Amino acid sequence: MCRLSRTFVGLCALLAGSACTPEPAQPPVSVASGSGAGTMAVAAPPETTPSATRIGSTARNIGTLDDIEELSVAIAAERRPSGYFGYGDPATPEQIAGWDIDVRPDGKGLPPGSGTAEQGEALYEEKCSTCHGVFGEGEGRWPKLAGDEPLTGERPEKTVGNYWPYASTLWDYVHRAMPFYEPQSLSDDEVYSVVAYVLYLNELIEYDFELNQSNLAAVEMPNRDGFFVDPRPDVVNAVCMEDCKNPDDIRITWDSTELGVTPTQHFQDDVADAAAPAAVASATLDDAVGQRVYDQACKTCHGPGLAGAPVVGDAPAWAARRDQGLDVLVRHAVEGFQGEAGYMPAKGGQVQLGDDEVAAAVSYMLQNSGAAD
Amino acid sequence: MSDKPAGQRRDLKALLAQEAGKLPQPERRAFLANGLTLAGGAMLGSATSAAAANLPPEVPPWTRSVGRGVVTVPYGMPSRYEQDIVRRTVPWLTASAISSISFTPLHRLKGIITPNGLVFERYHGGVPEIDPAEHRLMVHGLVDRPLIFTMDDLMRFPSVSVIRFIECPANGGMEWRGAQMEALQFTHGMLSCCEWTGVPLATLLQEVGVSAEAKWLLAEGADGSGMSRSIPLEKALDDSIVVYAQNGEMLRPEQGYPLRLLNPGWEGNTSVKWLRRLELGDAAWYHREETSKYTDLMPDGRARKFSWVQETNSVITFPCPENGLKQAGKYEIEGLAWSGRGRIKRVDVSVDGGVSWRSARVKGLILPKALTRFGLEWDWDGGPALLQSRAVDETGYVQPTLAQLREARGVESIYHKNAIHTWRVAEGGGVTNVQIE
Ligand code: HEC
Ligand code: HEC
Repeated sequence: MCRLSRTFVGLCALLAGSACTPEPAQPPVSVASGSGAGTMAVAAPPETTPSATRIGSTARNIGTLDDIEELSVAIAAERRPSGYFGYGDPATPEQIAGWDIDVRPDGKGLPPGSGTAEQGEALYEEKCSTCHGVFGEGEGRWPKLAGDEPLTGERPEKTVGNYWPYASTLWDYVHRAMPFYEPQSLSDDEVYSVVAYVLYLNELIEYDFELNQSNLAAVEMPNRDGFFVDPRPDVVNAVCMEDCKNPDDIRITWDSTELGVTPTQHFQDDVADAAAPAAVASATLDDAVGQRVYDQACKTCHGPGLAGAPVVGDAPAWAARRDQGLDVLVRHAVEGFQGEAGYMPAKGGQVQLGDDEVAAAVSYMLQNSGAAD
Repeated sequence: MSDKPAGQRRDLKALLAQEAGKLPQPERRAFLANGLTLAGGAMLGSATSAAAANLPPEVPPWTRSVGRGVVTVPYGMPSRYEQDIVRRTVPWLTASAISSISFTPLHRLKGIITPNGLVFERYHGGVPEIDPAEHRLMVHGLVDRPLIFTMDDLMRFPSVSVIRFIECPANGGMEWRGAQMEALQFTHGMLSCCEWTGVPLATLLQEVGVSAEAKWLLAEGADGSGMSRSIPLEKALDDSIVVYAQNGEMLRPEQGYPLRLLNPGWEGNTSVKWLRRLELGDAAWYHREETSKYTDLMPDGRARKFSWVQETNSVITFPCPENGLKQAGKYEIEGLAWSGRGRIKRVDVSVDGGVSWRSARVKGLILPKALTRFGLEWDWDGGPALLQSRAVDETGYVQPTLAQLREARGVESIYHKNAIHTWRVAEGGGVTNVQIE
C-alpha cells in the first residue's frame, strides 16, 4: 500500500501500526527501462534524452508529488483506536432494520414472508410484464428474464435461468430496484410471489411451490457453478520496437464507418453551432426543453406504446385526448393518471421534473402527433 | 451494453435514421443556422466580411469596448464557442435514459483532469436529488460500534485529495467483434479523471472498529437502483476513499452528491454513488451487479467473477475521428494512458499499424491509477497511416492486442477490453476507427 521513498523513512516510522514499509533507496532510473514513473513534469523518451531522465531521478530523491500524495493519504489513514474521533451517532437497531435490506446466497437477510408463482402471476403481469414481457422474454430492449439457451452459443442472452448463480440475488434485486419506476414499493410477500413467478417462468420451481424465508436459499440455480475468480492478467504482450510484423500482412478487418450506427453530425457538420444567431437559439428553446424531457422521461412508454401509453405520432389517439383541453392533459401528466388504457405515473415516474418541464414535454408530444393548436 | 446481432444491424441503422430525424439541440441549431445562411445570400456575404473586419490589421470590436462585469455569470461556464463540447450518448445502446451511459468528450480535453460537467454518466436508476442535510451514511454489520454519520461528521475527519481515473468496465465493450463506434468519444469516453477529496475508508472503518471475522463490505447507494457491490476488506483498507468533493467543489449530482465511494483503479461500478450504507460481513453478497452484470463470460460458458481491476490501456486523442488532419506537415500525436494497477511507465506509438514503434514523451504528472498524457512529434507526409499506442505500467504489464484478448476470452465478455486501438488516417487526413490484423 505505502511506497515511500527514502526521504520519508522517518515520517514513515511515525505511522505506528500502519502497513507502511519504506522502500530501499531507489537506484537511478535505468535508461533502458524507459521509466518515467514517479517523476513530475518532463519524463523523457528513454532512447532520446537521457539527461531528462536524470532530472526525473533527482526529483524522485527529493520526494515527488505523487509520493507526497501517498504520504498524505497514509497519514490521514493512520491507525487509531475505534471511537477515537467520536463523530457520528450510534445506529440503533430500528434504524439499521429500516435500511439493512441486503440478502446473501446463504439466505442471511431474507425477511419473514412467503409467496407462490400462482400468487405472483397477476402481480407480474400488472407490474413487470410491460417491460419484461409476459413470458419474461423482454419487450423491445428491456431485459429478458427467462430463457435457458446455452451460454456457449453466438451472442448468448443471459437470463435469470441460464446465468444467475443464486436465487437470493433475484429476491434482493427485485426488492431493492423493481419495478423500475417504483423501487422498494412491493411488500415482502409480494416480492416472494413475483420472485417465485420469475423462477417459475424459468422452469426452476413449480407453479404452486411456496417460496419463503427458509427455503429460498436452497433453490438450486442451474449456473451456480458457472463462475470462477478473475485470473487476470491473462495475456502477455511484448514491447517490440522494430519489424514487429510484416507490413504486407496487415489487413483492415473492420471499419466503423461501413456500419454507420453512431451519431456523428456534431463533428462532421462544418458549421459550428456556436455561431448560430442567438435569436434562432431562443426560438427553439421551448421545443428543445420539451424534446429533452420527452426523451428522458416519456419516450420509454410513449415511443413504442408501452403499458398502454398513446404512441407519439398516432394522430387520432392524441386528437381525442387533446379534446379534453391542454390543461387537463398537463395535469394528468404532472399528477399521474389512471385511464382506460393503463396507468400513467406522475411525471412519468421522474418526480424531480418541474411542472413546466412536463408541460413542455406534453406540448412537444402533441406537436409531434399533429394535435397541437 | 452488448453489441447487436448481425441481423439486427440493419434495424439499428433504421432506428438511428429515425433518431437522426430528432436531432439534439446543438445539431438542430447548427442545422437551422445553416439553413438561414443558405437562404440569405446577402447575409452570407456580410458574415464573411464581418469576420475579415476582425482580423489584422483591423481592430475587433471587443478590443474597442468593454465586456461584461463580475458575477454577470455567478457560476462560470465555458465560452459559447465551446458549446459543442458536451457529454453525448448513443441512443440505441440502452432502453431508457434513466439506466444508461453518456460519454466524456476526450477528443477535446487537455491535460489529465476531466472538468466536472464533462465526467461521463452511468446511472441505473437516474440521478437522485439529495439534500445533504438529510443524507446519512450508516456503517454497521461486523463492527464494534455501528454508527450513522451526517455529512458534517464526515467532513470533520482528516481528509485526503488524490487524482484518480474512473472508468466503466464496458468502455470499448461494443467493439469486441468489430469496430462500430465512429468517434473517440464513443470508443473510449466512459473514462474520466478528477481530483477527489474525502475520508480514507480505512479511517471510517477504524472509527467503527471492524471485527476480526469481517472479510467483505457491502457498499450501497441511496438512489432508486439501490446500487450495491461487495468489496473485499483488503481493498477497503488499502486505498478506498469515501468522497464528497471533486476537482475542488462538492460532488456533482451525477457523480453521487453528496457522497460516493471511490475504489481507485477498479471498475467504476464499484465506486458506488449516493453512498448511504456500508455493511461489514464475512462473505460476499453476490448481488445483481456482481453476477448478472460485471462478470465476464468466456467461450466455454463459464464466467469470471470479481473482475475488478481496469488493466493498462491507452488511446490516441489527436488525431482521432473527431480531430482529422488538414495538410501534410508536423503534428504532435497526443493521447492518454492509464492503469488500474499503478503508474504508467512508458507509451510507444506506431504510425504503420504496429510494424515499428517509437517511444512517446510522457507529459505532466505521472500518478498511480490516473490518466497520464503522452505526446510524440510526427511528420505526416499526407499519405495513409495506421496509428496505434501501446502503454506499459509499473508492474511491467504491456497493453495487449485485440487478437490476444480474443484468443484468451472470446468475444462475449463485454467488459475489460483494453486492447491497442487503431485509427486509420486516410489520404486527405480523415480519421476512422478500424480494426486490423
Ligand atoms: C418500466 C420498465 C420495467 C418494469 C415495469 C420492471 N422492470 Fe425490471 N428492469 C427494467 C430495467 C430497465 C432493468 C435494468 C436496470 C439496469 O440497467 O440496471 C430491469 C432489470 C430487472 C432484472 C434484472 C435483469 C438482469 O438481467 O440483470 C430483474 C430480475 C427485473 N428487472 C425484474 C422485474 C420485476 C420482477 C418487475 C415487476 C415487479 C420489474 N422488473 C418491472 C425495467 C423494468
Ligand atoms: C411508465 C409508462 C409511462 C411514462 C414513462 C409516461 N407515460 Fe404518459 N401515459 C402512460 C399511459 C399508460 C397513458 C394512458 C393512460 C390512459 O389513458 O389509460 C399515458 C397518458 C398520457 C397522457 C394523456 C393523458 C390523458 O388524460 O389522456 C399524457 C399527456 C401523457 N401521458 C404525458 C406524459 C409525459 C409528459 C410523460 C413524461 C414526463 C409521460 N407521459 C411518461 C404511460 C406513461
